[in-house]
Formats: sequence, structure tokens, C-alpha cells
Amino acid sequence: MNPVILLIEDDPQIRRFLRASLVTQGYDLIEAGTGREGLALAASRVPDVVLLDLGLPDMEGIEVIKQLRGWSGVPIIVLSARGQERDKVANLDAGADDYLTKPFGVGELLARMRVALRKMVPAEESRQEGQYCLGNIKVDVERRRVWRGQEEVRLTPIEYKLLTVLLKNRGKVVTHRQLLKEVWGPSYIEQNPYLRIFILNLRRKLEDDPTRPQYLLTEPGVGYRLRDE
Amino acid sequence: MPDPGLGMAETSQPEPIAAGGERLLVCLDPSPFSIPLIRATKRIADAQRAKWYALYVETPAHDRLPRENQEQVAQALYLAAKLGAQAVKVSGFRIGDEILAFARENGVSKIFVGKPYARRWRRFLGTSLVDHLIWNCGPIDVFVISGEGEEAAPAPAPGPKRRRLLKEYLLAAGGVSLCTGLGFFLFPYLALTNLAMIYLLTVVIISSFLARGPAISSSFFSVAAFAFFFVPEYFSFAVANTEYAITLLVMLLVSILVSGLTARVRHQARVAREQERQTAALFEMSQNLTAINSLEELLQVASEQLSRIFQSRVAILMPRTEEELKSRAGYPFVDEDVREGMVAKWAFKHGHLAGAGTGTLSAVKSIYLPLIASQHAIGVLRLEPLQPGRVLDADSLRLLEALGSQVGLAIEHENLSRQAQGVQLQMEAERMRNTLLSSVSHDLRTPLTVIAGSASTLLEGEETLDRFTKHELAQSIFEEARRLDRLVHNLLEMSRLQSGEAMFHKEWYVLEEVIGSALAQLDPQLHDHPVSINLPTDLPLVQIDALLLERVVINLLENSMKYTPPGTPLEISARVEDQELLVAVADRGPGLPPGEEERIFEKFYQVAPGSARGAGLGLTICRSIIEAHGGRIRAANRPEGGAVFSFTIPLGEGAPLLDRPLQETAEKN
Repeated sequence: MNPVILLIEDDPQIRRFLRASLVTQGYDLIEAGTGREGLALAASRVPDVVLLDLGLPDMEGIEVIKQLRGWSGVPIIVLSARGQERDKVANLDAGADDYLTKPFGVGELLARMRVALRKMVPAEESRQEGQYCLGNIKVDVERRRVWRGQEEVRLTPIEYKLLTVLLKNRGKVVTHRQLLKEVWGPSYIEQNPYLRIFILNLRRKLEDDPTRPQYLLTEPGVGYRLRDE
Repeated sequence: MPDPGLGMAETSQPEPIAAGGERLLVCLDPSPFSIPLIRATKRIADAQRAKWYALYVETPAHDRLPRENQEQVAQALYLAAKLGAQAVKVSGFRIGDEILAFARENGVSKIFVGKPYARRWRRFLGTSLVDHLIWNCGPIDVFVISGEGEEAAPAPAPGPKRRRLLKEYLLAAGGVSLCTGLGFFLFPYLALTNLAMIYLLTVVIISSFLARGPAISSSFFSVAAFAFFFVPEYFSFAVANTEYAITLLVMLLVSILVSGLTARVRHQARVAREQERQTAALFEMSQNLTAINSLEELLQVASEQLSRIFQSRVAILMPRTEEELKSRAGYPFVDEDVREGMVAKWAFKHGHLAGAGTGTLSAVKSIYLPLIASQHAIGVLRLEPLQPGRVLDADSLRLLEALGSQVGLAIEHENLSRQAQGVQLQMEAERMRNTLLSSVSHDLRTPLTVIAGSASTLLEGEETLDRFTKHELAQSIFEEARRLDRLVHNLLEMSRLQSGEAMFHKEWYVLEEVIGSALAQLDPQLHDHPVSINLPTDLPLVQIDALLLERVVINLLENSMKYTPPGTPLEISARVEDQELLVAVADRGPGLPPGEEERIFEKFYQVAPGSARGAGLGLTICRSIIEAHGGRIRAANRPEGGAVFSFTIPLGEGAPLLDRPLQETAEKN
């Protein structure tokens, strides 16, 4: 059975091009032009992923997210314009899973959707045990050891914890707030500079060229993302 | 009186009559009749379209006039100036001579005087002002305007002044008595003529300190005392010898002359002091008003200075609406008397001095002087002496008027320059809009043309195009769309920065991350240019808006890519210098045209117009952002070839340290 995608977007041209690319990729697409319509379809058709545009005519995107999150855990990918980093963060903190900045290429969209759909596979516990491979980086979760190529990398406990949080969400954006909360605890959610310093250290230990990171990507103004494949 | 018709024709002197026509002179005196005299002259001047002067000759007698009359003079001069005359006050001793001298100097053709000026006793002596003018006027016509309701003799001097005079008379008498006592002591040793000299000395001393009346009386006293005590017959006014009579007469004449001369000298000194005070005040005011940047400051400075000069509370009122005057600077008056506001409005509406001691609406405590600019009142100056009940004398009123007109002119000047500035700004904005429109429409159209062209080629040639060409076309559509996106983003950013709406969200950032993120965004374009990055690992954190700074790095890199040949390397480096972080983006391209290093940061500037793409906004945005961070941005040519763009970010206090992060505290969680 094909995954069902709910597209909530009012612009017909964008809908047309998304329809063309998603249907050819083997997804079932249902479309809504307004937030209300989208919420109704989300309830009746139970989609696997929701693509949500922020500039809807009838209601704020964040309102849709909040209502949807009231009764559903379906992955939500937000489509937003550039320069709205604050909105993006607010949407992600309100429960959206990821975002795409317009204009975007189909490649990016499909990658985000694959990550979102993978979340549906209830295999997180099993993954906790095994090993992750990211390019030449290897993480042994069981023994808490990390290798870069053949060489073992010594991480501080905080760095390791940071890496595992990113690993758990790999491919998906994690906001500064979420990272601080998960690694340091709720009272540290305002300490962005410290997070940056740890990310810098982690990059220096894991990346070949820390100024042009291949794995630990920066999402400007929003947070970090660990490359998926 | 010469025939008016022949007066001009007969003139043999090269009298400087203005080419513009006649010049009239109206002579003012300290009586209310001056006002109708001025109005009459004004009518004649208007009818003849003549330039006219109003002249008041201030003699030593002016000081002795009751203040009421002194004010009449001030008002008359003010009214004349209001009606378009050139109002002049000169000081001198002989009114007639001063008038004629002024008339000749200024090429006056007709003199108007009021009839009631000459006092009766002078008329008997045949030396009235009118007579004097008529006999000495030469080619100038003299018109005598008759006054309705002849003016009574000047009112007696007010109480305090009379008491002061009485004291001076007593002093004079005392001085002479003292001298007489000394005379008795010296009488056995001195000749009579030398004794007379002692009396003369006494008169000189007395007249150099006292007013003219006591001074002259002291000469009479001393001659009388001398005649009575020392001239034989002793202790009688009878004179034994005619020679003694001559001695007495000469002594009387000399002492009167000396006392008169001394009084003149004192008068001149007083006038000079007064003029010096006025000139100094005017000069200081004009000095202070030139170094002013805003209207508020101007009003503030003016009211402070006026308050200092006149020892008064001063406020400047300006109209807020048609009907309401509002205090804009100076002392915050709180009025219980509603009349104050009414008088202020009256002064504003009629453009006429009013209030305490001015003779117009004088029942209030303050003086109201309209501030005139371009023929109409733009505000009112309110002045209330600190000392309750004190009113300004006529001279101070004149000075106040002069200063007021200076303030009025300064306000007007300020207003005009502000208007001019506004026009300038508007023109600049207009020019900017035009440049923006043409530049942006060109820059928008180019990628749109590529997109439309490639897409239509794809549509048309679905059957005929090979796979490679199709891919090429699709690729260029994608890239042009990205370019368009960056352009739109820059435009939005620009307008946000320019309108001041941009909110800066400064946080402590690691420069490395900002640069990395900028590079990641440019990745697809960077394949033609190898980028080398040279950052010390111990760079301190900087407090920046990372998104904006990222834009700076992107724009600098894009700019370098645009102007350098493919394949040439780019280089990013940073170091700490003088409490600043210095970041440089260098290339190996052709470099900048010498002398253009600063201009390239101007809006819409392009090194070679039309050659490269981009609205020329990128570097301008960079500059706005860097300056908003308190840094500087500059461009230069590298000695070894290529250009380098560098900017600085000040290192703030309290940066989190790189090597001692949160680890310890974090570990406990």
C-alpha cells in the first residue's frame, strides 16, 4: 500500500508541481486548499505525512499544527519562506517535525519525507542496540564508542549524549531548544552559546573539515541536523 | 520755507537722491503726536512710492523725560518700522543739526515734522526746531504737519526721580558751602582770582558727578557765594569795582560752560555704554543662533539668553492650531490670569508688541513680543521680569525688539533649511526608486527569460531533444530560480534594513559555524571556485545576528565569484586585532578599479554597469549589516593581485569561553 500524503496548500501551481512529482514517486496524494479542509481530511483519511504550507487563507499554520497535535502524531513537514526563522522555530516547538524553505527542490522534499515516514517504523529500541554508520563515522551504541575511519574518537559524556540525540533524530532538524533540553535538561534551554561550543568541538572531532561539515549540518537560526545517508 | 516745487530744481549741490525716487524723513518727538505724524507720512510715502525714514534724535534731555514719553518714542519707532519705514535713533545734542545731517547723508528730499514740538519759550527766542530746519535745510523741503489737540507740557517727573534730584541739589549746595569754608581759610593767603579758580574746580567736580540741573545751579551758587563773601563789598552782593563784575561774569559763564560740557561727556559715555551693551547682546545672540541644529535647540538657546539679558522669565510660544498658542521653550508659566493668554494671542494676531510697560494692553504682568518672519508672526516671545512689578524701559524694549527680530529670522532660516532638506531627501528617494526599479526589473527579467525560454524549449521539443539537452535545460531553470530567490531575498533584506524594521537578534556565535553555514548555502555555485578557509581554532565568540552575518559572507562570496574568472581560488581568513574580530574574503581576480574601493558599497553601484548580474545591492547590504554590528567594512586590492573585502566585529564583554564550557555543571545533570 502506498503511503498517503496530505498536502495543505492554497496555491494551485505549487499543488500541481507537487502532485506531478509525488504521484510519480509512488505516493497517494490528497489535497486541501484551506486549513479547515486539511484538518477534516486529516481526520477522515488518516495520512502518513502532512505537508503544511504556512500562508493559508483561513488560519495560521501554527494553529493547524496545534489542533492536529491535539489528537494525532502524524509527521508534519512545514513549507515556509525564507526569513521566517522565528516562525519555523515556533512551528517546530509546537509539534511540527521538519520544515522546507521555499523554493525547494523535489530531492530535498523526498529526503525529508523518507525521514518522516521512517519514524513510522516502530524500531527505535532495536536501533538503540546496534551500530550506526555515517560515512566513515561509526557509532557503537552498546559500548558507547565512536570511530572516525579506523581511529577511535574520544568524546566527553556531553558530546556523546549530544551525538546520540542527533542520531536518534537523524535526517531531521532538531531545534536548539530541543537539544539543550534533551542533553542538559529543561533549565538550560536558553544556553545557545554553550550548545554551539559543543557542536564546534564535536565537529572538530568528527568532521574532516569542520568549517564545511558533511554530517553535523547547521540549520541557520533554527538548530542542527545530522545528515541521514 | 523754500518753494516745494523749486526745491529740487534749485539744488546746485550733487545731492545723492536715490534713483528709485523720493526719500522721506519723519522726525519723531516724545509725544503721542508722533503716531499720527507717522501715519500721515506713511500715506504720503505710499502715494509717492517713496522710501521713508523715521528718525528720533536722542538728546541728553531724553533721560530726563518721564518714562511714559520715553515709551512713546519706542512705540513710535516700532510702529514706523512696522509700516515699512527705516526706523533710526541717533544721539546728539542739537536736534535740528542731527536731523539735517541724517537727511543729507541719506539723500532725503522731504522732511516731515510735527508742529507742537517747539516749546513756547523757545519760540519766543526764535529758535524752534521748525525754524531751525527751514533756515538750514538747503534744497530739502520741510513739511510741518499740524497736530490736533496740542500736547500739554511733559508731565512732572515721578516721585523717586524728583527725590533723587533734590538730593543732588543739596549735594551741590553742600559742595559750594564746603568750598566757601575753605575759601575763608585760604582768604588771607590767596589773591581773589585764585580763589575764583577754587570755585571753578568745585563746579567741575560737582558737574562731573551730578545731573545737569544741580551742576548749573552749583555754578550759580558758587558765583553768588564768591560775590557775597569774598568780593568787596564783603557780605553783600554789591560789587565795589567794575573789574570785579567782569570777573564774576566770566566765572559764571565758564562754570556754566564747564558743567554743560561735563554733562555732555557723561551723556555720550552713557549712550556708548548702552550701545555697547546692545551690540554685545545682539552679537552674542547671533553667534549662539548660528551653531544650532534643530528648532527645539534654537528656541531653547534663545529663551535662555533672553532670560539672562533681561533678568526675566522667558518663554517662546508658537501656534499649535489656528487659535491656540503653545509654549515651546523656556519658563513653564502657569497663569491664573486669563488675560495673559489673551494678550499673547493679540500680540501674535496683530504682530504688535503688547503687555506690561508697552502702552498696549499693559494690565498684564508679562511683555509679549511677536516673532516676525516673512512678514507675519510665527510666534510670540513672553517675558516677565524676575523682580515683580519691574517694567522694561524704552531702551530695553528696543533691544528686546532687535533680539526678537533676530530670533524670528533664525527660526525662519531654520524652517527654510529644514524644508530644503526635506526636498533634497525626497529627490534622493525619488532617484533611488527609479534606479531600483530599472535595476531590479533588469535583474528580475534576466533569470525569468532564461526560465521561460528553457521551459518552453522543453515543452516544444519533447520529442526532438536528446536527454542531455533536456537535463541541461532543466538544470538552468533550477539554477536561475535559485538566483532569482537570492535576489528577492536581498531586496527584502535591503528594504528591511533601510526602513529600520530589521530586528537584530544578537547572540554569542562561533564564527566558524556562520561561515560554514554560508558555504553550505552557496555549495552548488562554488564548484568553480576552490575555497580555502584559514581560521585560528581559538577565535573568541562574537555577539552577532548570525542570519545577517551569514548574509554578509554569502554576499561577499557571491560578489567575488561574480567578478573573478572560474577556477580562481577564494580565501576566507579571520584573526583578532585590537579588540576586534577581523574577517577577510580574498580573491585572485582582476581586482578593483583604483579609487573605487569605497564607491562599491554604494547602492546600485556596479564596477562595469550592465556587465554582471545583480542589482548592486549585495555590498550595500553588507555594509548596513556590519555597521549595525558596530564594525567597519572595506575593500582593497591585494599587492599580489586580486581584491580583498574585510570587515570587523567588535569583541564584546562577557563572551562565553571556548575552553571552559558548561561541562562541569552539565555533568551533574
